[in-house]
Amino acid sequence: MKLEVGYIQIRDISLADESRIDDGVLYINTKELEELALEDEHLEAVSFDVARPGESIRITPVKDVIEPRAKVEGPGDVFPGVVTKMSTVGSGKTHVLRGAAVVTVGKIVGFQEGIIDMTGLGAEYTPFSATNNLVVNFTPKEGLTAHEYEAAIRKAGLKIAYAVGKLGVSHKPDEIKVYEFPSIIEATKLYPDLPRVGYVLMLQSQGLLHDTYVYGVDMKQSLTTMLSPTEIMDGAILSGNCVSACDKNTTYHHQNNPVIEDLFEEHGKTLNFVALIITNENVYLADKIRSSDWTAKLVNYLDLDGVIISQEGFGNPDTDLIMNCKKIEETGTHTVIITDEYAGRDGTSQSLADADPSADALVTAGNANQVVTLPKLDRVIGTLDYTDKIAGGYAGSLADDGTITVEIQAITGSTNELGFSRLSAR
Amino acid sequence: MVKEIERAGIPVVHVCTVTPISMTVGANRIVPAVAIPHPLGNPSLSAAEEKQLRRKILTTALGALSTEVDGQTIFEVK
Repeated sequence: MKLEVGYIQIRDISLADESRIDDGVLYINTKELEELALEDEHLEAVSFDVARPGESIRITPVKDVIEPRAKVEGPGDVFPGVVTKMSTVGSGKTHVLRGAAVVTVGKIVGFQEGIIDMTGLGAEYTPFSATNNLVVNFTPKEGLTAHEYEAAIRKAGLKIAYAVGKLGVSHKPDEIKVYEFPSIIEATKLYPDLPRVGYVLMLQSQGLLHDTYVYGVDMKQSLTTMLSPTEIMDGAILSGNCVSACDKNTTYHHQNNPVIEDLFEEHGKTLNFVALIITNENVYLADKIRSSDWTAKLVNYLDLDGVIISQEGFGNPDTDLIMNCKKIEETGTHTVIITDEYAGRDGTSQSLADADPSADALVTAGNANQVVTLPKLDRVIGTLDYTDKIAGGYAGSLADDGTITVEIQAITGSTNELGFSRLSAR
Repeated sequence: MVKEIERAGIPVVHVCTVTPISMTVGANRIVPAVAIPHPLGNPSLSAAEEKQLRRKILTTALGALSTEVDGQTIFEVK
C-alpha cells in the first residue's frame, strides 16, 4: 500500500461566518458543525471554543483528541465504517490539518478523563498544549446511559473532525510525505540483509468504556490481526477509551503513531519494517491467553527478527504485555516493550503488575503517579466539577486558590505508551 | 495482602482472574475467577446458573484451603 500524506500547516483557528482555510488560519462556522453534531438524537446541545498554545486555558474533562484529516484520492475516506462508508483505506492521498486538533469535552463519561492546560506546568506534560484546539463541548440529553452518551460524543467528535478535515482537500500542502508498505515478500527482496522488524500495537479493549474500534469493529470481539500502517493514518483505528488520561491512545495518537513514523524513518536504512500486528487487551484470562498466542503465531509465521510491542493502559493489561513479550521471545524473536509505570508517588513501588525475565528490553514513558500542582488558569473550558474524581485526582485536588494537585495520570497524554510525549530522563 | 496474611500463619486462597499476576506476586493457592469486572459471577448467565457457578468457585476455594501444597498451585474450577 502507498499513501501520500499532505500536511497543511494551521497556525490559528478563528470562529467565523464561513468555514475555510486562508493563509494558515482555519476559520470555522460553528453553526454548520452544530447541526452536524445534533443529527444525533442523544445530544441536547453543543458549543465551540478555541484554545491556542500559550493561552491561560484549562480544558477538562477531555474525552478524545482528533486530528482533522480527509482523503483527496481514495479508495474510501477517513474513519471508515464509522463516519464514512466501509472501505479499505491507507492508499491514495490524504490531507492533514497539521497543528490543529478537535478536542471533545463534556459531562464526564467514565471517571477517567483528562486535563489539557494550554500554559503553565501542565502544558509541559501534554502534547495538546502545542496544537490549536477546536474544543467541542457536548451536553447529552437527560436519561442516557453512559454507553449511549460515550458512543454519541465519540461519533459526533469524529464527524466534526472529518468535516473540518475536508476544508483542506482543495489546498496545496506545505509538506508531502510518502509512506509505502509493500508485501512482506517484496520487502524482503528489497532489503535482504536488513533485520525484518514488526510492530505489535496493543489496543485497549476491556469494555466498560475502555474500548477501541477498528473499521468500526469493537476490538474486544476481534482476534489478533494485521493492518497496513497507512490504514491507521487514515483513521482505521479509533479511540472509544475513557481509561486514565495519561496513557490512553486518543484517536490523534493513532493517526500519528510515533512508533510507526520512526519505523518508516529507519525502513531501508537500519531495518526492514514488514509487519503491523494489532491485538487486544480483554478482561477474561482465556482471551488474554488466546490473543497473545495469536500474536506469537503471527510473528512466527512472518519469520520476524525483532518486534516492538506497545501497551495501552496499565494494571491487568500488564499481563497481556508480558504474555505477548514472553511468547514472542519463545519463538526466538527479540522484543522491546514500551510501557509506563505506576511506581507510587515516591517512585519506589513495583512499576508493573506483571513481570518476566524475557522482558529484558523496556522503554518507559514515565511514572504516572508523579504528583504535580497545576496553577490556577484564567479560563476553564468544560468543567472543574470532576477534578477530584478523575483518575489521578483525589478529594481535595482542587484547592480554594484554584490550583489543582494531581498525579500526572490526570493529564491527557502525559505518559503515552506510544512515546508521543515530552517526558525524558536525565 | 495474600502474602502478609500467610506470613502471620494463616493459609490464604487467592481467587483472581489474572492468575499470572497472582503467580508473579507469590500466592500459593490460586483459584481462577470469571473476569476482571465480575470475578465471582457472570451476568450473562441466568440467576440459577450463576448461583451454581458461584458455589463451584467457593467450594473450589474451600477445597484449596484445606489442601497441602508444595509450591504455587492453581486449582481449576471444575
